[in-house]
Amino acid sequence: MEFIINYYFDFDIISDEFGFVVSGLWMTIKLWLVASLLSLIWGLVLAVLRQLPGKALAPIRGLTIAYIDGFRGLPALLVLLLVSGFLAAGQSDGVLPKWLGLPTWFGEPTWFWYGVIGLTLTYGAYLAEVYRAGIEAIPHGQMEAARSLGMSHGKAMRYIIVPQAVRKVIPPLLNDLIALMKDTSLVFAIGGSELLDAGFSIESDYFNGSGLMLGAIFYLVLTIPLARLVDVLLKREQRRTQRGGGDADAGEAEEPPNPNIGLAGA
Amino acid sequence: MTTNGQAMNGDRIILQLQGVQKSFGRLDVLRGVDLDIPRGSVTCVIGPSGSGKSTLLRCINLLERPTGGRVLFEGQDITAIRKEDELNAVRRRMGMVFQQFNLFPHKSVLENVCLAQEKVLGRDRSEARPRAEALLARVGLANKLNEFPERLSGGQQQRVAIARALAMDPHLMLFDEVTSALDPELVKEVLDVMKELAAEGMTMVVVTHEMNFAREVADEVVFMDGGVVVEQGPPREVLDNPQNERTKRFLGLVLEH
Ligand SMILES: Nc1ncnc2c1ncn2[C@@H]1O[C@H](COP(=O)(O)OP(=O)(O)OP(=O)(O)O)[C@@H](O)[C@H]1O
Ligand SMILES: [Mg+2]
Repeated sequence: MEFIINYYFDFDIISDEFGFVVSGLWMTIKLWLVASLLSLIWGLVLAVLRQLPGKALAPIRGLTIAYIDGFRGLPALLVLLLVSGFLAAGQSDGVLPKWLGLPTWFGEPTWFWYGVIGLTLTYGAYLAEVYRAGIEAIPHGQMEAARSLGMSHGKAMRYIIVPQAVRKVIPPLLNDLIALMKDTSLVFAIGGSELLDAGFSIESDYFNGSGLMLGAIFYLVLTIPLARLVDVLLKREQRRTQRGGGDADAGEAEEPPNPNIGLAGA
Repeated sequence: MTTNGQAMNGDRIILQLQGVQKSFGRLDVLRGVDLDIPRGSVTCVIGPSGSGKSTLLRCINLLERPTGGRVLFEGQDITAIRKEDELNAVRRRMGMVFQQFNLFPHKSVLENVCLAQEKVLGRDRSEARPRAEALLARVGLANKLNEFPERLSGGQQQRVAIARALAMDPHLMLFDEVTSALDPELVKEVLDVMKELAAEGMTMVVVTHEMNFAREVADEVVFMDGGVVVEQGPPREVLDNPQNERTKRFLGLVLEH
């Protein structure tokens, strides 16, 4: 019993190394924020590309679907290794310029940017599927109303469909961002100095898990409030739809959905 | 090459359907519809469920592409248009009002009426807003500018939808059973707006089950069944003295109650 407490909660070690763990925490938070922001954007781009209308754009749709299926089906760690290995090797072979092969943009270290790129490639694919669910949940009458007012497909998506879709999928997006938070620890495998790495190097130095435990607590401090927030948002949404209000009634037409509407212009 | 005759025709006949056909796979929904719509006229389209009335309206503004025949709008064969932005330019000149209103739920009433003015016509807010306010006042909703659609009754929502379409200054308005989703006590307020619009000379094609409205407002009543126009003429003839057996049977069913 005493051993357990000493192993996980050695307050001497914790007070000595607290600053070191916090600096790892700070890197984790930065990595998460940057990768989240880029994933949210990249996922939306993919989702919109996937909805492009018309026969002429079928190849773009096909490529997008292949990308999404591919990156959803690969372990994030494998993507990370593929990306970092490729960029580093391309740089040392002179195929890639240094600013791209060994990026240190905004003064952040190279592993940070490898992590951002790898995680964005993977999570963009996840988030694209979330957005897609939102877009497809918008009643078809919305697109028809927008088109009948003379809006192009692009304008209808931008002003009518996407804003409604994003609102609908904020909770599942946040869920994926929670997962992304945990997956930032994968940069450990490519030499990242973040929260997990800080805990682990303390464990190696002292043969003591207090640093890792402190890291665990920090992860929970970040993820649990987000999980609660998701819950609150879902409950609120539920109340809204139970009231019978909301946009649910605004377009549930009896007509079957019309897959041709976008084709009209092609 | 536009002949003189065609140009003059486009002046009086704003919309001409020539043998319009539409099939979904093997289902032939429209089987050759011919129709002339004079400028400033009100045409009511009636017919049993599934006869292709909605599809006809949607073929007019090319939400659906006809699979055969031609649609001439203001002298232009719009079924020949292949370019997306030309198509948008045509749709801009036609307004459409739907059974389910299809207001934009994330926008206030005012924004619903301003949005396409700004994003499609390029009007700025100082131009779009007074136009929207005037139209909303006209449909009796001057005090609802900042409400969101979900807080309005069906009749109010439908009047916003009419204002939204009118804000684009359309040359032709299409109405698809716009009172069918409304509680009975709300039907009149919407029909009154439409009557006023007709009196002001708007060209309207109205798919409706409201026979009294058709009798009172329509210049021409078109009875459709099975994807074709079965009978057409002034309401006095088609509604009160139908010649075709199918028209008689349909009116018998509708007017019974
Ligand atoms: N996009 C579509 N794909 C397949 N079938 C369709 C499509 N749109 C309409 N239809 C079919 O075409 C037929 C005519 O439909 P339409 O909506 O034009 O009839 P309607 O006269 O408006 O009927 P209602 O009075 O019920 O509105 C129906 O059988 C319908 O199922
Ligand atoms: Mg219909």
